[in-house]
Amino acid sequence: MNELENPVQKMWQDQPVEGIRMSAEMIHKRAAKFERRIMWRNVREYVASLIATVLFGYFLVTARDVLSRVTFGLFIAAMVWIVFQLHRKGSAKRMPLGVDTLTSLRFYRAELERQRAAVANVWSWYLAPMVPGFVVYTVGFAIRFPRPAAWAGLVLMDGMVTVMFFVIWKMNVRAARCLQRMIDELNAAE
Amino acid sequence: MGAVASTQDELYQDAASLYGAALERLARAYEADPEIRRDLLQDIHIALWRSFEGFDGRCSLRTWIYRVGHNVAASHVLRQRRTRSQALVGLEELENLPDANSGQQVADRSHALNRLLSLIQRLKPLDRHVILAYLEGLDAASIAETSGLSAGNIATKIYRIKNMLVRQFQQGGPDHE
Repeated sequence: MNELENPVQKMWQDQPVEGIRMSAEMIHKRAAKFERRIMWRNVREYVASLIATVLFGYFLVTARDVLSRVTFGLFIAAMVWIVFQLHRKGSAKRMPLGVDTLTSLRFYRAELERQRAAVANVWSWYLAPMVPGFVVYTVGFAIRFPRPAAWAGLVLMDGMVTVMFFVIWKMNVRAARCLQRMIDELNAAE
Repeated sequence: MGAVASTQDELYQDAASLYGAALERLARAYEADPEIRRDLLQDIHIALWRSFEGFDGRCSLRTWIYRVGHNVAASHVLRQRRTRSQALVGLEELENLPDANSGQQVADRSHALNRLLSLIQRLKPLDRHVILAYLEGLDAASIAETSGLSAGNIATKIYRIKNMLVRQFQQGGPDHE
């Protein structure tokens, strides 16, 4: 260390501290809790897709006609694609701890940029893959039940799905804007 | 595995004994709220312990500890920015603040320390890193190693820090009690 050349340095270093220490046992316990939190976050990301895939798998096996099988096959393929993309684009990377501050700030910004790109393009990797399944389902249903009342119900259901897609897209666009604000603040803070 | 864990524990114990007070001062400079500061300090200690699993001795223990401490604390500041609206400033803006002593002398050491902390807590993460490292007595080369900034950049920042400290504290400041 340098010889203290400035009295403010001495004032800073002489300030009273509480001498807070953590026992090894406490550290191990808190570190394990942290690891569990990370693990559950990762599990949560995949479990909903897994349940949906199993459900669609059951429908695929028990379906009586070809169009229904194609529908559920397309839904399963979409789920697998979404999970793959979630893993590729969405998984949070852990910050390397022993790097210098500049590198760590750049890592943090790159992570935010990656997350922003994922939510900004949610249409292409999250919503669009579900569209073929819904289209085939609609066609199959319309062929199986050629009655105006059934078609009206179908239009209502497709309308609800379209609204749901729109809401998901808008929420993600908003999340992308929020991430962009954080990136701008980080740029200003560097 | 057992030997690694033991080394990890030993390294952490050494780090906490040698640099525990410096880490506490660091946490104080990054978080004003005492409750949140205690959590931040615990997070720093846990990150430090976890980091020793990958410590390969390519830099000194002190450099490693300061890097980990500042990284955790800077991430904390950036997360807190979502809920706190005060803008962070650079050293050049602090350098241009009006002299604190021109109207009212810095009354005592505790007052001066609080004022110093409030100035530091307004700084952007990298500038905060440099001023804290300077206050802890690290030389320019060590500050460059822990912050990732170039030596020239560090020299400019230290020049500004010294100017600011003289203007804010040493004209009737803590050495004039």
